[in-house]
Amino acid sequence: MDNPFEHATADAAGGNPFAAVAPALQREPITFSGRGGEYFGIWIVNLALTLLTLGIYSAWAKVRRLQYFYRHTTLGGSAFDYHGDPRAILKGRVIGFMLLLAYNVSFQFSIIAGIVVAVALAAVMPVLLMRSLRFRARYSSWRGLRFGFDGGTGGAYSVFLKWPIFSVLTLYLLGPMWHQRMKAYQFNHARFGSAHFTIDAPVGAYYRIYGAAIAVVLLGMATIGALLAALADGSPAVFGLAPLLFILLLLFVQPYLSARLQNLVWNHMQLGSHRFESAVSARRLYLIMLTNLIGVVVTLGLFLPFATIRLARYRLQSVTMLCAGPLDDFIAGQAQDAAATGEEAADLFDVDIAL
Amino acid sequence: MSTSPSDPATGVAALYFDGRSARAHAVTLNVSDGVLHVESDDVSRCEPLGALRVSEPMGDAARLISFADGAHLEVRDHAALAHLLAATGHRDAAVVRWAFEPRMVVIMLSALLLSVWLIMQYGLPWAARATAPLVPDSAMTALSERTLEWLDQALTRPTTLPSARQQALRQTLSSVASIEGQPIPHTLLFRSGGQLGANAFALPDGTLIVTDELVALAGADAPVLAVLTHELGHVHERHGVRMLLQGSATALFMAWYLGDVSSLLAGAPAALVQAGYSRDMEREADDFAVKLLRARGQSAELLAGMLEKLAAAHGEGQASRSGPMGWLSSHPDTAERIARLRDKDFIIH
Ligand SMILES: [Zn+2]
Repeated sequence: MDNPFEHATADAAGGNPFAAVAPALQREPITFSGRGGEYFGIWIVNLALTLLTLGIYSAWAKVRRLQYFYRHTTLGGSAFDYHGDPRAILKGRVIGFMLLLAYNVSFQFSIIAGIVVAVALAAVMPVLLMRSLRFRARYSSWRGLRFGFDGGTGGAYSVFLKWPIFSVLTLYLLGPMWHQRMKAYQFNHARFGSAHFTIDAPVGAYYRIYGAAIAVVLLGMATIGALLAALADGSPAVFGLAPLLFILLLLFVQPYLSARLQNLVWNHMQLGSHRFESAVSARRLYLIMLTNLIGVVVTLGLFLPFATIRLARYRLQSVTMLCAGPLDDFIAGQAQDAAATGEEAADLFDVDIAL
Repeated sequence: MSTSPSDPATGVAALYFDGRSARAHAVTLNVSDGVLHVESDDVSRCEPLGALRVSEPMGDAARLISFADGAHLEVRDHAALAHLLAATGHRDAAVVRWAFEPRMVVIMLSALLLSVWLIMQYGLPWAARATAPLVPDSAMTALSERTLEWLDQALTRPTTLPSARQQALRQTLSSVASIEGQPIPHTLLFRSGGQLGANAFALPDGTLIVTDELVALAGADAPVLAVLTHELGHVHERHGVRMLLQGSATALFMAWYLGDVSSLLAGAPAALVQAGYSRDMEREADDFAVKLLRARGQSAELLAGMLEKLAAAHGEGQASRSGPMGWLSSHPDTAERIARLRDKDFIIH
């Protein structure tokens, strides 16, 4: 049996005099043992109970879903764990739902009321997002040590309010820079136990990835336009296909973006002096996402849990930790509490800040 | 993994983490007299079972036994742990056991499909009926204006009906359009139907649109009026808003259910649901029409006869081909409704 702790004792014993001079990086792959058939059961029970309780059970469902994924993800032979309290998550969902309702209803009354609510939401969202990062980190653990997030309010307003406005005002020319700042905020303030994460992905790399994606989209749009113009030949009805083709084009580009961005982030991340390596292939991800989409459509959604597992397995198992020292050396940081409100509101507003 | 298979004589193999460092201690677990004993070369801990929490089973994933002080045990020897837990009388939550039992998964799946059907069939219409009165008039006006704009742009043409005839029809409708002494606010508009042919619609704010073709098909004013009273029924019962609420709720549910797949797919069911009024709504509108007609001393036959003419004009077979908002595509089961209107025992509920 392979013992992930073996190298640790060997290092600690100091048997090799060169070990201290040039510590060989020990490769620790992340493994994922979730299975579609198994997750299907959890998914269907969650769905049924959520529906029967008019959504109230969804908080418990979320905890169970996350626990399934965390506990099937292992590093160095030990599983991750999620400890979120469903009652706190339910409270967060209620608050999120009310904010969403206020936002939708206010415009019915008057434009002024709508603007007031929108401005208030813009003022509150960064704090909610910050708290969501804190909550998710606080209630995630590995080998009994908690993750943590210490990002402040100022940083949250910068990356969740100032930079989005900048990038919209510049017609998204600053979009990649916003993404870089967001990842920096997310990871430079993250901890595992007392060890700190750092990320040094250069902004140029974000521009290269987004630049390539946009080039493909523009090229695709030109091709679609030319193709439709040739096909139309007097019957403009053919142009009705344009939105569908455009969506197919975006579905084509999305795996590339998500593969390259995951690799960029993880390959430039450090935890203490440990590094990571992510080797997601855009082509493999594209095949997985395409077959997932076909499966979900053909089965009217019943394939969804299998699709989720397939995607998670590939993305997680593409990551390897390059350990500069024994994993046993991590120690706990100071404990702190976080309310669930932020994360749930962020979920409801569909602001994806994951990975 | 790093734990060796448990030997029943020495206890269950597990990894112990103290919650302060990531160091794993290989330990063995034993239970005696309601106390868990954790033993190894460097760890020795006893804890009453009541102070421990066992994580839910998640298939092959390790199970965690947590101590109150943040320490925990990671157990991968599921068979040995199950034996130990059974001895302590521990039982996993039913909900979690279900998720891993094929029979329960099938039952849950059936229950899910059944409840989705029940909700679509009864729950949503009921909720829409309850919430429709809460929709503000301004929203209904805005919605109606947008729909009328779209109709005028895409489908209908200006009317060619003489204004004297228009005026006469408006006047008769006003004299009918009241229920329990309360007038029903409405506006009657005339349009040339184009591809819609003989047709009539009601918009949520009380705007009624009748095509020149329908007026011609009816021949006299009374049958036109019968159709319009039916449309007034849709207005009075807020059928348009109710369909829209149901459609939005369905779209919202589909978006949540399908999650990140594509919002493209989410739009489709909503469009299907919004394609026409439900059978129950048509009955409500028919009942309403008959009530108004009888109040004027007229018979339900006017409406029944008109329905028959409309069905013939659009051709029963190709009913749904008569345009996106054709009379028959938005008014299903015409034959059944005609029979119902002609039934001698027709009673208004
Ligand atoms: Zn009708």
